[in-house]
Amino acid sequence: MPVNAEKEITKLWRNLHNAQSEICKTFYRWREVAIEVAGPDAKPMDIALKAAEMMGKDIGKNFLPRLNWLKGEEAFMMNLGRALAGIWVTEGGTAIAEKGENPGEIFIRCTRCPWPTAAKEFGVPMEEVALTRERLFQTILEDVNVFFNINLNIEMLKAIPRGEGEYLLKLYKEN
Amino acid sequence: MAKVLFEWDYSSYPGAKAYPNLFKPIQLGNITVPNRIKYAATEDNLNDHNGFITDADVAYMRSRAEGVVGGLCFMQGVYMDEARKGQGYVGQAACWDDKYVEGLKRIADAIHGEKAIAGFQLMDCGRVGAVEVESGHAPSTVPQRLRIFKPMYEMTNAEVKEMVRQHVEAAKRGVDAGFDVMEISGIVGYLISNFLSSYTNRRTDEYGGDIRGRCQSMVEIIQGVKEVCGPDIPVGIRLCSEELLNDVKGNTPEESMETYKIAEEAGADYISCTLGWQESIFPVISRDIPQGNWLYLAKRAKENVKIPIQMAYRLFTPDKPDKAIADGELDFWEMCRSMIADPLMPKKVLEGREDEIRHCVACNLCLARLFRDAPMTCYINPRCAHEHDDNFTPKPAEDEKEIMIVGAGPSGMECAYVAAQRGHEVHIYDKRSEVGGTLLEASQAPYGDEELMTCVNYQKTMCEKAGVEFHLGEEVTEQLIADEMPDTVVLATGPVYPELEGSADNDKVVNVLDVLSGRADVGDTVVIYGNRKPGIGVALFLAKQGKKVTIVGKEKTAGFDVNPSFKWRYMIYLKQNGVMAYNDCDIEEINDGEIIVKTYDGYRFPIKCDTVVVSEREANESLKKIVQAEGIELFVIGDALVPRNLSSAVHDGYRIGLRI
Repeated sequence: MPVNAEKEITKLWRNLHNAQSEICKTFYRWREVAIEVAGPDAKPMDIALKAAEMMGKDIGKNFLPRLNWLKGEEAFMMNLGRALAGIWVTEGGTAIAEKGENPGEIFIRCTRCPWPTAAKEFGVPMEEVALTRERLFQTILEDVNVFFNINLNIEMLKAIPRGEGEYLLKLYKEN
Repeated sequence: MAKVLFEWDYSSYPGAKAYPNLFKPIQLGNITVPNRIKYAATEDNLNDHNGFITDADVAYMRSRAEGVVGGLCFMQGVYMDEARKGQGYVGQAACWDDKYVEGLKRIADAIHGEKAIAGFQLMDCGRVGAVEVESGHAPSTVPQRLRIFKPMYEMTNAEVKEMVRQHVEAAKRGVDAGFDVMEISGIVGYLISNFLSSYTNRRTDEYGGDIRGRCQSMVEIIQGVKEVCGPDIPVGIRLCSEELLNDVKGNTPEESMETYKIAEEAGADYISCTLGWQESIFPVISRDIPQGNWLYLAKRAKENVKIPIQMAYRLFTPDKPDKAIADGELDFWEMCRSMIADPLMPKKVLEGREDEIRHCVACNLCLARLFRDAPMTCYINPRCAHEHDDNFTPKPAEDEKEIMIVGAGPSGMECAYVAAQRGHEVHIYDKRSEVGGTLLEASQAPYGDEELMTCVNYQKTMCEKAGVEFHLGEEVTEQLIADEMPDTVVLATGPVYPELEGSADNDKVVNVLDVLSGRADVGDTVVIYGNRKPGIGVALFLAKQGKKVTIVGKEKTAGFDVNPSFKWRYMIYLKQNGVMAYNDCDIEEINDGEIIVKTYDGYRFPIKCDTVVVSEREANESLKKIVQAEGIELFVIGDALVPRNLSSAVHDGYRIGLRI
């Protein structure tokens, strides 16, 4: 039986998108569980940021075997920037890493992000979406920094949930 | 005058004439070692999980001591802290209390019983330790790159001093147990190497900073151990000559040589030269690395220090170390894996029995097992780690039988010589005119697989010496079985290769053996069906010829059957050679110029190809019913029973050889 490429790709694509949308939804379902378990005194923002830290720490561990210093600092930072952008792509977003004008500076630009849409469904404040994303990326860097004995930072300059049209993060070396 | 512990005279042995440099004495500290042979300390996970020595470990060490024919024989490194942060292997021997001395003495006595020099090693596993506890200790808190290792936390200054003291105390216990040489392990990611490396030592106290600061704990250990050992017990250290950690800002080669000089200044009597860490991303000891590849590092070490230099890595035959010693590039031939595969290896060299050596095939199964908390096992030596077990020792057969073995591959030949040594009359048949079975083709794969044939060469020699009768070029038929009517038939016929649906009379579908032997014509675009080891081997073989190769296989990952300590290399080579692997897939259709692949969850896609190479295998049922119908005792072994790997073939053969 000949392969109907259009049918196979459509089926595969649909399943991929379903799986991607489940990533955000699963996070927010667990957020609700955590808020309920934590009790009325707990602040949802604190819970969300703590979750971002734990996830970032774990993702950072996954980065360690894949990064290497053999090609020098510039290539290392670009690879790291691509890996960070790749997190968004896996989740169903559109993101790229670009070299900045200054040395030791990489920009990660995301023009399509699934998180705000999912957040709306669960009544999550948009500022929480922006801050958890920033915290996640910052925590990823913690182990990377210690492991490679460097001092990198990441800063959010723009965020879609803040109505700025895109996410823009600056990855840079701190003096 | 240096002390002689045991008298040895090698002058009448052929090996001493063939390799005069290996069998000449050398002074190590204040003792004379009669030869240049060393069994290097190797973990075996054979000890009690509380660190006490077992009968299995004593027997394991005794057989290695016999092998070194008077040379150095080192027991595994011991951990030295009660908190077990320094323990890297579940069966590692302990030495943090006097209660361990009695067991350690058993090892020293066993080594001395073979007139060999007993070596004791101090090994805090540092970054790769804490196998039984939640976290370990390290010079600095540097995250683990590999998740299988526990988190490490920075030692306080007082804890570093305590660690130094633990080394000295443990050395004293080693002396009390009767060991003759003391060694400190500072390699591959263990604690001392963590202190030496810029990658893992970020301290700012006296134990960190520049290379001299990073060496401070090593210096204090060497000096402290020397003091308790006194003048008659040489103290050596194992150190990396290159860490191969450039990708994570590890030491430069120059810094590594500096560690050698500092160790010598501190009083070390010899250095064992190693390279690489467990975290290094470069292959060092697998069979894709040529023999003798690393000798230049021993030479460089010799140029930097005056004390004797020892080395093990990829030196499996006596010619290279013998020449290196003659050329002044090396002083001792160390062995780990080659004496795991054949504990009597150097003894056989001395006695001129090199053809009886069972050579290591550098598969690293032994290491893979140790890292996964399993007892030592050798891929090709079924007796390894069973030296204490009477059931693994060939004993004369109670009832001598006439045995017909069908198939002169590794499984059949292993069975043949073991059964013949036990007194059976063994006839081995093969329709081919040469021995080796499917290994003849498998050894054609690139990246060192030709070394697999050493197994067959060994078995053939052993069969000949045990009086096995070969019937090569003779196919076993129903008639032959009826004519011979043996007491026992062993089917070691190898696997069969299934026919793919729709491939009958399709000359584009060929068999892996025909491809590797050059009998089949293969197009430029090839699909390999099967993602186990044979599939990977033939894929690399064809990719090396410039063909575009794709693997399609049912296993969830390619190389599912290859041990993890070797598999990572194959993944690199597949990538380097542009081989794409579709795992968890099957071939649904074979069409003209393409195949249709179906994934486990039902997606279908085409792959262009001129040739399909079938590397999937199935058990071989032929002759089984015929033998059973004659009422003859029957055994089926190796791939004929269940297609697996060389190791399973050899182990099957050995066990059935013992059982008949």
